[in-house]
Amino acid sequence: MTEVRLLVQRFNPFVDPKPKLVEYTVPKREGMTVLDALLYARDYLDHSIAVRFSCRQASCGSCGMKINGRPRLACYTQLDELRGDRVVAQPMDNFAIIKDLVADLDSFFLKHRQQMPYLIRSDAQEMENPTREYVMKPRELEEVLQFTYCIKCGLCTSSCPTVAMDSKFPGPQALAQAYRYLMDERDEGGEKRLEALDTTHGVWRCHFAGSCSFVCPKGVDPALGIQLLRRHVMTGKAPRKAGDGAKVVAPTPAERAVTSG
Amino acid sequence: MKESRLMLIQYSTAVVAVVLVAIHLIMQGVIYPYSTAISFDNILSIYRNGYYAVFLEALLVVVLVHGFNGVRIILHEFRQTAPWSTWVDIGTVLAIAVSVAYGTRTVILAVFGVVSG
Repeated sequence: MTEVRLLVQRFNPFVDPKPKLVEYTVPKREGMTVLDALLYARDYLDHSIAVRFSCRQASCGSCGMKINGRPRLACYTQLDELRGDRVVAQPMDNFAIIKDLVADLDSFFLKHRQQMPYLIRSDAQEMENPTREYVMKPRELEEVLQFTYCIKCGLCTSSCPTVAMDSKFPGPQALAQAYRYLMDERDEGGEKRLEALDTTHGVWRCHFAGSCSFVCPKGVDPALGIQLLRRHVMTGKAPRKAGDGAKVVAPTPAERAVTSG
Repeated sequence: MKESRLMLIQYSTAVVAVVLVAIHLIMQGVIYPYSTAISFDNILSIYRNGYYAVFLEALLVVVLVHGFNGVRIILHEFRQTAPWSTWVDIGTVLAIAVSVAYGTRTVILAVFGVVSG
């Protein structure tokens, strides 16, 4: 049986003066992921290793970390795709460390919330008690589809050089979501969204390094979203929406039942 | 002023500066022989050509606005406190104003013959 040398960065900010790498030898099996190796080390070698995970299938975004220097999802990285038998697991950059590999994502989710990641509409009554189904045409969906794949793992933000410098910069994830909702045919809060982005530390601070798009495990291209967002922020005009036709087109299930009945 | 307006100025001045600097280099390096282009008398004669004086003043303004606005952006990334932001913005406006005034003074002195060879 082959083995892998797993070096885990250990750090408890309340106890340790600085982080240190601790080596664990883990038996390797076919198809084993870095998360599997970490859980083996935690279960059989050192119970005190702190690692955050949940779905184990690249859906929840909990196990984001730096693996051999590159931000990745531990559950989505097989040991076989890494060169050599030495794997270094460290917490994501640009975040405070809670313990070992667990990063503090509070600031990340705060910036996400600041982009108002929900539909803003004037018809509050209709939103509370919708009378119809609000649908998007396939072409309209294509405009934003890739950005809806974001699982909020934080890898893009941890790789962003601007976030490393500017603590007020929203980061690629938040800006990509701002674009996603700005372009949504059902949204009416365009001007409000653009105004929130047009600040000293807003959308203009992106250097277009592109590392966010490079590390995204879901194939989202936040750098593209930011550039497209800039076009609208520059003009100050929200994208033209199709209008009433796009707002309400599909009958409610009840209406459908009556029609078909 | 909104950040988008400042960035529009930044991009516009960059484009204009490329054109103006290219013209300037062609004039200095190709039309005039480079060896005499930077001689004192030649520079004075350039300033005293009205069109070229206007051209140099435009180059001065465009390059200074672009340069100092760029420094402003870099400084904003260094620190994110409110006082720092305020002082960076004030400092940028002052730096542009003083530099443009000093450069314009040189152009005016040369154009009106206060400086002579």
